[in-house]
Amino acid sequence: MISVQEADFHVQTLYDSLCVAHKTGAVAMFVGRVRDFSDDPTQSSFMLEHYPGMTEHNIVKIVEEARQRWTLLDVKVVHRVGKLSVDDQIVFVGVSSAHRAEAFAACDFIMDYLKSRAAFWKKEITPEKEEWVEAKQSDEASLKRWT
Amino acid sequence: MANVKIVFFASLRESMQCDELERSFDAPLTVRQLKEQLASELNQPSLLTEKVKAAIDFDFARDEDLIDVLTVKEVAFFPPVTGG
Repeated sequence: MISVQEADFHVQTLYDSLCVAHKTGAVAMFVGRVRDFSDDPTQSSFMLEHYPGMTEHNIVKIVEEARQRWTLLDVKVVHRVGKLSVDDQIVFVGVSSAHRAEAFAACDFIMDYLKSRAAFWKKEITPEKEEWVEAKQSDEASLKRWT
Repeated sequence: MANVKIVFFASLRESMQCDELERSFDAPLTVRQLKEQLASELNQPSLLTEKVKAAIDFDFARDEDLIDVLTVKEVAFFPPVTGG
């Protein structure tokens, strides 16, 4: 399941849906959250923009690549868009498999590629200013681990 | 002649003051050629900076990639992505 949505997500529900009866031996999950980026967290927010169609298309490709590399039972990716405040959840990546090594590696891989290959853009908003977040070189460099 | 939709996102959309436009082409052109054509036509030299990324029908594309105007529906330009 891949979902790009404004609504929040419920980790327990996603965890339960990742588990395949009698087969799942490991579930690895990652949750990205909005941390404070200004002097006043109560006044700070993010606007997350995406490219409808391309975002989903590329996440599907990333998940397909992970499924080719590792033996996985299920994968779920949820990425929120729209206005988000400090402490809100942004992204969920969950992977289930028979053994932990596959689940850990696939979750890490999907998250690395989401950062650099999925069409999302963050804008930081405070009472003083609105500023688009610059891409980090370190995110692109992380992809080299997988080549 | 074939129509291609061109869309812009995030900081580039704001600096261009344009979400999308449509242009007709009678021959294939590269991403770079399209950038140069739009930069000149719209007086937006920022389109030519290295930071501007492109996609052809949802797949990331490089400057030298060819846009087959007979089959391509949409070309996008945007800054480096910052999701996750």
